[in-house]
Amino acid sequence: MTEVSDPIERLHRTATSTRDMVIHTNATRWEVFAKASTLREMVFEPDPPLKISMVHETGVAVRMTGRGEAGFGAASGLEAHAARVAVEAASSSLTPLPFDPLPPSRLLGLTDVAPPRQLPGAAWASHVAEALTRGVLQASGAALLIRRLVFQEGTYAWLLATGDGFVASQHDATLSLLVELGPRDGDRLPHHEWVWVKRPEDFDPEVVAAQMCNRAILAGGPTVSRDGLFNILLHPEVGAHLLGSLSSLFLPTPEDDDPLAMLLDRNGRLGSEALTLTDDRSASDCPPVAPCDGEGLPTGRHILLDHGVPRHRLACHFEAQLYGEPTRGGARRFSYRDYPTTGIGALRVNPDPGVSPAELLQNAGRSLYLLRLVAPVVTDPANDSFRLRAQGVWLDDGAVEGFQPVVEVSGALSLMLRRTEAVGTDLAWYQTAAGFVEAPTLFITCQRVTG
Amino acid sequence: MTNMQPSEPAFDHRWLEALAQWCSRGQEADAGLIDLYIERRLELRLHVRRQARWVEECRTEGAAVRTRTESRHEIVAATGTSPKTIAQLLSGRIDTRELHLLRPLPPPDLDAPRNWKDTVETWVDATSVGDATVLILERRAAVIRPGQWQEIHTPLLIRLEALAPGSSSLLATWNHAGLTQWAALVNECPQRRVWRPSGGDQLPVIFTSGTAGVLMHELVGHLLEGDVISDGGSPLERAEASIVGPPTLTVIDDPTRFDLPGAFSSDDEGVLAEPIHLLSGGVVCGALCDGLTASQLDRAPGRGRRAAWNQAPVPRMSNVVVPPGHTDPEALENDLKNGLVVTRLSGASVDPRSGQVILRVEQGWEIRHGRRRRALAPFELGGDVLGILRSIEPDFGDDPTPDWRLAWCLKAGLPLPTGAEAPTMLVRTMEVV
Repeated sequence: MTEVSDPIERLHRTATSTRDMVIHTNATRWEVFAKASTLREMVFEPDPPLKISMVHETGVAVRMTGRGEAGFGAASGLEAHAARVAVEAASSSLTPLPFDPLPPSRLLGLTDVAPPRQLPGAAWASHVAEALTRGVLQASGAALLIRRLVFQEGTYAWLLATGDGFVASQHDATLSLLVELGPRDGDRLPHHEWVWVKRPEDFDPEVVAAQMCNRAILAGGPTVSRDGLFNILLHPEVGAHLLGSLSSLFLPTPEDDDPLAMLLDRNGRLGSEALTLTDDRSASDCPPVAPCDGEGLPTGRHILLDHGVPRHRLACHFEAQLYGEPTRGGARRFSYRDYPTTGIGALRVNPDPGVSPAELLQNAGRSLYLLRLVAPVVTDPANDSFRLRAQGVWLDDGAVEGFQPVVEVSGALSLMLRRTEAVGTDLAWYQTAAGFVEAPTLFITCQRVTG
Repeated sequence: MTNMQPSEPAFDHRWLEALAQWCSRGQEADAGLIDLYIERRLELRLHVRRQARWVEECRTEGAAVRTRTESRHEIVAATGTSPKTIAQLLSGRIDTRELHLLRPLPPPDLDAPRNWKDTVETWVDATSVGDATVLILERRAAVIRPGQWQEIHTPLLIRLEALAPGSSSLLATWNHAGLTQWAALVNECPQRRVWRPSGGDQLPVIFTSGTAGVLMHELVGHLLEGDVISDGGSPLERAEASIVGPPTLTVIDDPTRFDLPGAFSSDDEGVLAEPIHLLSGGVVCGALCDGLTASQLDRAPGRGRRAAWNQAPVPRMSNVVVPPGHTDPEALENDLKNGLVVTRLSGASVDPRSGQVILRVEQGWEIRHGRRRRALAPFELGGDVLGILRSIEPDFGDDPTPDWRLAWCLKAGLPLPTGAEAPTMLVRTMEVV
């Protein structure tokens, strides 16, 4: 079991012992990535037992290249044995490759980032569990209760070292809650809420309980079913998953398979004026913060979509070489076991000019407010189509007309993006299949709704 | 089917025996110790792109200890399987002061299949896939409980993930004779003129080419998993002992079928693998439980499966097998006046609470007067679980066929390899979504 009390020092030792082994191979260039993490989950339910899971994971990965060949090997552990296994695995996987997969040292660098975040004390979880339970009862008038509350606490440290002498490391902590909220009586399906805790000291259980109850209470009442063309509003969570599903548009793609060009209008615009998207994993208020990407390129604010116009595409060095593009950063490593690939790290909507969510709901006319997804978002840029299946409420100038348990919104992806006429100011982070996305309420006009 | 276990032990058996005795001390001290799980994995990946090919090799190992008391259920897991790691995991539960003095023999390396890269490259080159990733997975594990231990063997797996949009994955056991058909499966060209049935249409559907196995995986397998039953969300549990399907329908969950990807010699809680009859003569007669749900439901355990060493076991099926009938599958199509035949599914899901199943059809045909007419464009079929089961015709094909596209079964975020084999089956009515 690895204690991550002085994790960076331990990772340095692993990198050193790995280097001592790599230099005895035929590798001309190499890179070591070592990681240690601890994840603790505590599950509170109305009745005991308390369920706890604690996972300590460590590992080391080696990429090496030489004589026109490249290899990747990974092994669990940080001891000399793990380093040896990883080096041997990288050696045995050497395969001819028409380019050097490791970025040149001139591209490597570090960005100043905020100091590591700290996890709260041991009593914080039980205190918040009690306060949230109380808050939900109050905010819902005892109509709702928390059926399950999962605290996810993680600490992690990683180190990247190359044969050219570049060394980067990061040590941080994350904290999030997963809440299962259900009606006090009746057998309606429970709602799930994921909440990222930016700073435990600023976390207000009453405010969070009220936000969760607002959405859960809306998902009820008399059922209404409608079809046709309507304005729609996306709850930040729905918007985050929709935008996350579009991330492939900002990643390297073979030129003949690139759908982005087909989605642009005659002015080179992908989305409306209201839509500006950035990817920034160096900002202190993001869930993942890093001084460099998974290959050592400095992190920073990349404007992907600037008032609807595509500006920047991410491209890790490996994929950039693969597809004949310039290297632009954005390499991600899901774990020490995984090869670096391009991906969004922290996709954000820039709410400038933003509109308060209350104003958006009030002025949307007769519209459908999509509260939460009931199936994964399907976007197909190559065929310019998308499909959202969600729960929603029908609004008329902000007044609720009825609830629709399953509704589908589908149509042309390009039109939907160009009809995103306003974004809210209620930004919140969500974990999506593509990565972390911070999104507000989105207002989109004239979409095909099928009941 | 024979249980093809490797003859070479994955761990030092004397070391496992010593650990089992050590864990007994925990038992005596009432530490609530359930088990210690150790696992080693070898993952090999060959990435094939138009511009390049490269290989990854990853070797991992880890251990997990579970304890359970009235007030607390706990799992603690850590990288490594060394005596030091295990001593740290068990500390506070049993006296581990001398545990590190035990010196196990170093375990034999998990070996890649001989010439695996050449074999896979030859095979991929015979297909028309452009960009793809092929994974070879070897896994060895053991469960140590107070006073006893069990080594776990699973088949060597191969998985093909084609990266083209809409392509599904293929998963099989390495060296399976059926692998030679994969190239043909991958190379099937989409038809130029395709037709999509209208949403809301109610049509008879023939599931052929193994796709009936996916249907049974969703309709029967998932809904008889212990966690679904104990949550009170299974429509089949409520229908237990009543007739839910035709009298010819028998569904077995069989982990001893080592030719299918969901096989294991014992589950990840150390219960020896045995087939479990889920439906017999159309009547629900079994359930798939891990140790916890088995005790809650008063059933037999044997299906506690772990996605990895750092995950707790969950109840999950292994290989869903439907014994064949005696009907020529072509006769089933010839007798159909108007309907659909499904030859490939790209995915499926079931919602236990609503009892609704969704099947994503990737390929198939429209049937008119017993003949295949237009090819189907991708679409979805759906319906009520009990309604579909009742609507299954009793005459099954005599063509038991594995489905390679079930691949990793994902439930609650945990992927596990599962398999299925079923003959051609006709469902009288399903709804186009």
